[in-house]
Amino acid sequence: MKRFKVFFNIEKEEQWLNEQLQRGYRCTNISKLGIYSFEKTDKRYVIRLDCRDYFPKQKFVEYKEIYEDFGWSYITGSWLGGIRYWQKKDSDQNEIFSDNQSKSNYYKRLMGYSLLLGSFCLAYSFMLFNNSLLYHDGLWRMEGSLFWKALVFETPFVLLKLLPVLMVVLFSRSYYKAYQKYSVLKSQ
Amino acid sequence: MKHKLLPLSETMHYILLALREPLHGYAVMQKIEEISKGSVILAAGTLYGAIENLNKHGWIEPVGHSGRRKIYKITTEGSAILKMEQERLTHILSLYEGSELNEEV
Repeated sequence: MKRFKVFFNIEKEEQWLNEQLQRGYRCTNISKLGIYSFEKTDKRYVIRLDCRDYFPKQKFVEYKEIYEDFGWSYITGSWLGGIRYWQKKDSDQNEIFSDNQSKSNYYKRLMGYSLLLGSFCLAYSFMLFNNSLLYHDGLWRMEGSLFWKALVFETPFVLLKLLPVLMVVLFSRSYYKAYQKYSVLKSQ
Repeated sequence: MKHKLLPLSETMHYILLALREPLHGYAVMQKIEEISKGSVILAAGTLYGAIENLNKHGWIEPVGHSGRRKIYKITTEGSAILKMEQERLTHILSLYEGSELNEEV
């Protein structure tokens, strides 16, 4: 089974993945473009998403080995840093964090991650809008049906141009969500 | 100045105590499960982060390999931290024992 999905919130993604696993699937691959591959299984699995900065090779080996010792298998993750997907057979130890300190550090890393991607989109939006307006200037001087045709023609491109702005909003939201959880854990 | 890892969290405390003998990551978790009578069971990410953190502060250090796994042990600095924590906790315990006396006064 393959599914295409795009997430801007890591916790939502984790939740969705686990819903698929509860229906009797096991995740086999996750591509960068958002294609999630699953296969049928009669065992129960759980997935946890970790967020880590860039690892030098040796550090990554150590990180991976500790998780594997605990029964987690690595699905995928970007070498640059960011989300790392871990899957394991369902048991009484299904979490990757067992205390508040490590959980709050996790949310802090999520905040950093959303902030980085959000700033990237913001910078990109500025570049995009710096030298051009949303609609072509000549559009507003057109009249009658020509105007409407041109408007309909240009609108999809305008929406495309607005995409990075929308992404800024979505990353800001996930930053805020992570911040809320972080501050709750911090105050405990 | 107060260190940001002090007073030690339960996780950090148990890891330092377990690493008075050289152990690799997973063995640290097993040792802690045993010495805490099953009340503290560390998860992978928590253990990984704590080992990283303690190593960064020089309280534990890698002392070799068992197969491909890295083995860690507490450093002199780490032992000094445990000593400090022991004194702090002993003082708190003495307050527990002295509490009835104080009430009489």
